[in-house]
Amino acid sequence: MQQIIDLIQTYSLLRMLIAFLVLIGIVFLNAIVMGYLERKIAARIQRRWGPMEIGVQGWLQMILDGVKMLAKQLIVPRDADRFLFRLAPLLCFTPVVMIFAALPFSKALYGINLHIGLIYIIAMASINVFAILIAGWSSNNKYSMFGAMRSVAQNIAYEIPILLSLLSVVLTTASFDLQKIVEAQSGWLWFAVYPNLFVAFVIYLIAGCAETNRAPFDLPEAESELTAGFHTEYSGFGFGLFAVAEYGNLFIMASIASIMFLGGWNGPFGLASGPLMGAFWFLSKVFVLMLVMIWVRWTYPRVRFDQLMNLAWKYLIPFSLVNLLITAFLVKMI
Amino acid sequence: MSLMKNTLDILKSGSFDVAESDYKKCGYHLEVKLTESQVRDFAQAMLDCGFYIDFVSAVHVTPCFQVVYQFAHFDEACRINAKAMANAQGEIPTICDIYHGANWHERETHDFYGVVFTGHADLRTLLLSEEDADLKPLLKHADKLVNVETITRKSGGDAEMKPVKKTKEEQTAAE
Amino acid sequence: MSTMTKFETTDKHRFLLNMGPQHPATHGVLRVILEMDGEYAMGIDPVLGYGHRMQEKMAESRTWPGFYPNTGRMDYVGAMPFNHGYVALIERMAGIEVPERAEYIRVITSEMNRIASHLLGIGAYVLDLGAFTPILYAFDDREDILDALEDITGSRLTYCYYRVGGVLKDIDDTFIKRTRAFIENFRKRIPMYNDLVTGNVIFIKRTEGVGIITADMARRYGATGPTLRGSGIAYDIRKSEPYSVYSHFDFDIPTGKNGDSLDRYYVRICELEQSLRIIEQALDKLPDGPVLAKPKRAKLQEGDCSFSVETARGVLTYYLVGDGSEVPYKLKIRVPSYSNLSLLEEMCTGMLIADLVSAMGSLDLVIPEIDR
Repeated sequence: MQQIIDLIQTYSLLRMLIAFLVLIGIVFLNAIVMGYLERKIAARIQRRWGPMEIGVQGWLQMILDGVKMLAKQLIVPRDADRFLFRLAPLLCFTPVVMIFAALPFSKALYGINLHIGLIYIIAMASINVFAILIAGWSSNNKYSMFGAMRSVAQNIAYEIPILLSLLSVVLTTASFDLQKIVEAQSGWLWFAVYPNLFVAFVIYLIAGCAETNRAPFDLPEAESELTAGFHTEYSGFGFGLFAVAEYGNLFIMASIASIMFLGGWNGPFGLASGPLMGAFWFLSKVFVLMLVMIWVRWTYPRVRFDQLMNLAWKYLIPFSLVNLLITAFLVKMI
Repeated sequence: MSLMKNTLDILKSGSFDVAESDYKKCGYHLEVKLTESQVRDFAQAMLDCGFYIDFVSAVHVTPCFQVVYQFAHFDEACRINAKAMANAQGEIPTICDIYHGANWHERETHDFYGVVFTGHADLRTLLLSEEDADLKPLLKHADKLVNVETITRKSGGDAEMKPVKKTKEEQTAAE
Repeated sequence: MSTMTKFETTDKHRFLLNMGPQHPATHGVLRVILEMDGEYAMGIDPVLGYGHRMQEKMAESRTWPGFYPNTGRMDYVGAMPFNHGYVALIERMAGIEVPERAEYIRVITSEMNRIASHLLGIGAYVLDLGAFTPILYAFDDREDILDALEDITGSRLTYCYYRVGGVLKDIDDTFIKRTRAFIENFRKRIPMYNDLVTGNVIFIKRTEGVGIITADMARRYGATGPTLRGSGIAYDIRKSEPYSVYSHFDFDIPTGKNGDSLDRYYVRICELEQSLRIIEQALDKLPDGPVLAKPKRAKLQEGDCSFSVETARGVLTYYLVGDGSEVPYKLKIRVPSYSNLSLLEEMCTGMLIADLVSAMGSLDLVIPEIDR
């Protein structure tokens, strides 16, 4: 056992390979758990039962759905660009795994620790919009194209407030290293406690909702307008990968929030945060945030596209800019 | 009831053949008989009086189609039924530029009966599919087609429906 | 249904978008061809007839009692008033008196059906705007109504309960108890709908000022029902040409102010309460007696006759021409959504596609009713 650990620690490439295999598993597991939770919680919000048939309380339902998706035919529309059409789901899914590698689940539990972890994650996350654009364009369907166009405009608009609000934290810690940022919040002094960073946190949550295309900002796949938006033409596991990636992105969004603002793997009130307990605290925070987003999704109607743009350009960006200035000023003063 | 009186006066002064009818028996207050050339003037008069369009339809009779217009008013109970005979070619002027809602009713009537609304810009099929454009499903077979007199309410006639009883001749014929 | 579109797009910045016949926002098999400029719909051409069944031909090819079941199958969401219009038309033509208890039962069931229809309309509308939850709450309440109606009519959706001269079956104490319990329960639920939907900022932003219908437009197109009342005109056949026993009850006609989607939605919410009031009064005053006059087969007299009722969506007019036989010579069915939808083009040209969905949803369309 010790030998294996030594081996892993000596060869970082081996360590990364194992980490990636595990991470792909985690991404799928996350999609299954979140898919199940979302369906169950949505059902409870809507006064119904949700999946009940397969397994106790229907907990096997999502696994069966995955099998069903695998068994389905991958239909490529006749006029679609075949190569790009097939490429898009992969392009959507791969960055999610790559980001998972850089997430510090706890002090010792991570795929890879980068000094510029935050920049890496944000750079990888922006590939998502590229994948959606390719999916929409290659489907050769007007609804898909609408969804793709909306998605690009929306993601560009909402990446700015996300970056600006995260920069406030970077200014405070003077580091892009996620581990260092988490360590800076040890004890109970999480960044969300400071007023200026709390504002940044709220801005980040709203913008993150839009960035992951979740209701009430799910314009790229607005069902009643665009049938299913960019993935209208996808079937089988092409569609499945989009769904997995969506939950993966949701997880990433929530974990960035908990790393940057909620103390990452730090336990509340200075409670123990060893390698496993740290992961426990981290995951609890992430899931609480994700459940809040599910709650929002099943409660509110969808905004209109111009209203969405207004929210970003007229409110979130100016507010986060001002907030960044105030943070910079405070950091300089203290 | 002032609205009805007013409308009656306006229509009478416009030289339309208008008569009050028994609402309890036929469901409308005023009955108007139009000639083909009066249709558009009548529709304009209706719009000026503030009536909304209820429907446009037709009845297939001899000698030709009887086109039926019904209007009612938002403010008071006043329902107007107007009938006009189409000309021998089955043509009648459109009112869809006066009452835009007549557009679909006229397209539908064209679908079902083949009444041609002259001046209607867009007589594509609406409810029927294109390959059925010549079907004209509501045209009567020759043996069922009746004269316009048959379907006209007899003034002062008995409102009670006649019970179904076979006459002796019919019974013997059936046997 | 016409496969040819009227648009001849020469402008290379514009393109045609085919919305439907299997589009979530068209509530069934309606197809709307849109000429788009980016996200703006610059031209609108609804294509009807995918669910066309030629009901008027069916009416002409059978004796008049044979058409009863068809009346419940046009507007399947609010079928009772369609029943009502047809039997009342024959009664008017034949001069048949209906026992008062039967008229009261007709009013009670019609109003319950109206509530069920409005609940579905409201739920589906909010679903169009992207909120999934309210429709299931609405279904929850609608279920109570359907259960109660199922007990006495035998069906849950396509009713065939009214007969010329009365109703098929008398209501019993269970039904009355159930209805009273429903009224009490539902009164508490209406504020919940207002909290959940009406007061929501996003909902108001999506509906306020969208799809304005003016009184003049309504007149030219013949728009009726909540679609019209949203524009501030208190027109309701139940008040203006009172049929059945509606004149015995005290109720208001809620109206909107601006004629936008929000007003049309809110009129429906207010009508729920008015329908509850009517049902309550009818239950209180319910007289004893028979529910079905002695049925008779009869020939239709020569001449024409029309009857209008207020359905959940607006004015329904049956216009019957008789030639002295048992078979109607002609039956025109004027359905409300048909006229309501025809103003879509004028209402929505130049709108964003999201607003188009919002405006179209607020008309509360039932496509099989339009197609007949």
